[in-house]
Amino acid sequence: MRIDAYISEFARKTPQSIALEDSKNSVSYGCLEKDISDIALYLKDFKRSRFTILAESGIQYIKLLLGVYRSENIAIPLPIEFPRFNLERILDSAHVNNIITTDTQYSRFGKNFFERFGTVIVTYNDMSVNILRKDIKDETNNPELRLVLYTSGTTGTPKGVMLSDRNLIANGESIIGVLGITSEDKGALVISPHHAFGNSILNSHLMAGGSIRIGTMNFMNSVFNLIGSGVSIFYGVPSTYRMLLKYPDSFRQAFTGVRTAASAGGGMDKSIVKEIRELAPWLEILPMYGQTEATARLAYVPAEDVDKFIDTIGKAIPGVTLDVFDSECRSVEPNIEGELVARGENILLGYLGDEIATKSKVVNGWLHTGDLAQKLPNGYIRLLGRKDDIIKIGDHRVNPREIERYIEENNRVSRVFVVPVSHELMGTAISLMVMPAEGTEIEALYAFCRKNFPGYLCPREILFIDHIPLSENGKISNRSIIEEYRHVKNSM
Amino acid sequence: MEQIKNCLIDYLKANSFMDKDTHLEDSDSLTQNGIIDSIGLLELIDYITEKYSIEIPEEMLTPENFDTLQGISNMIQKLAK
Repeated sequence: MRIDAYISEFARKTPQSIALEDSKNSVSYGCLEKDISDIALYLKDFKRSRFTILAESGIQYIKLLLGVYRSENIAIPLPIEFPRFNLERILDSAHVNNIITTDTQYSRFGKNFFERFGTVIVTYNDMSVNILRKDIKDETNNPELRLVLYTSGTTGTPKGVMLSDRNLIANGESIIGVLGITSEDKGALVISPHHAFGNSILNSHLMAGGSIRIGTMNFMNSVFNLIGSGVSIFYGVPSTYRMLLKYPDSFRQAFTGVRTAASAGGGMDKSIVKEIRELAPWLEILPMYGQTEATARLAYVPAEDVDKFIDTIGKAIPGVTLDVFDSECRSVEPNIEGELVARGENILLGYLGDEIATKSKVVNGWLHTGDLAQKLPNGYIRLLGRKDDIIKIGDHRVNPREIERYIEENNRVSRVFVVPVSHELMGTAISLMVMPAEGTEIEALYAFCRKNFPGYLCPREILFIDHIPLSENGKISNRSIIEEYRHVKNSM
Repeated sequence: MEQIKNCLIDYLKANSFMDKDTHLEDSDSLTQNGIIDSIGLLELIDYITEKYSIEIPEEMLTPENFDTLQGISNMIQKLAK
């Protein structure tokens, strides 16, 4: 079964029920069914081909995604908040010949951007379609592949997570179970639908026959209006909640009718939970944990345990088994540190065009999350850090070594070190420590970062240093960099 | 009015994804053109509040008042009176 088959079912059973809405429009299941069939009609000559989707967050994006599914092709949504340069990197690695886009994005990116594609299809809000070029090429794809989500692409090699219909549906069903989503529920989608978390909100609410209210976090008054419009489940990453909590009165008022505040994408800290509890004591808080490689979700903290176990990721969602392995892939006892591993029907097919990375990520059916963890005596799991250097910046997974290398290779500097620093809204942002070379200009470095990185990676400050921040055993690590940063700041 | 706009452009050039040589029309959407994101907007609000010593009521945090140079300048002028 495919996700769009659920739309057909609800279009038959409850054609008038609302599936999608934004601040101006709403679309019933009956209309959605018709619209995605219409889009699929334009794509019917393609056979299991990869289609990249370039569309702003909104109803139109969801129609395009479902239309690609309906035509039995493969969808590759582009994370639209990335600078053009990052998108081009993703396209280079995905080798896509076909693109379907909105007129807004076509005029924003301009004709040149689209020259790399054999097929270019531009769609309009009134559902009219303009096929600028059509070139059907034979492609070899994994027979189960339906969706490719890119996890990084800011620097280094972008990784395309390949997901199947089975992955999407299995994870959707688990999430419906955990949140108790029904056709009566209205979910708020204010985070990007192009990534795993946003995509899972779409899947789970559409599979339950419920509705989704789509918006962005840009204008706070609009966000609070959206939440107050009958939303029953609100979803956000921790920074979403930090932004909303800046406005306590509006928060309390807007969340009056909301039953659940769900989170993922990063750990909810105690202070966020405390503030929410004070402002909206009726709200069920539901922190979830996952990664794109698991379609979206892997674990959750049951609502009744949130106050006691907020520093854990709780337990596995239905259909998923979690364990902690030592370096020999043997399950370890509680309180022993190891790597968190997971299995279930939601585990990825592999990385697009990267068998080596796939083999090291999934071993004997177990997804190796890269997160260090320990089991607690009650079976809950506590995260202890990363196996690699990856850090969370503004709730995004980031490899600081890749960013450093990338800045070094493209600027007049000797060495660059990324320091995670706390940020009022993002939780963590970055600063740079730079060993200058001849002609190093701070202004040029800022400009480079603004142009080449998404917003959350723009440095809050750039400091000059004169030696490499090594640890006692002579290595560069996040820890040695943070220690040097503290030292520099203290002596300023 | 022009002074407010120039000041905003300087801020955006230094603190947003806007290039030094980008030409921004008064009615261009800051969010749709990728010049500013949601976190950047909240920082801009803090900047404006301090710079012009104004309080921006929460119900004014709308696209009409914050998505274009014109909108922001109008709002500042209205509140600064």
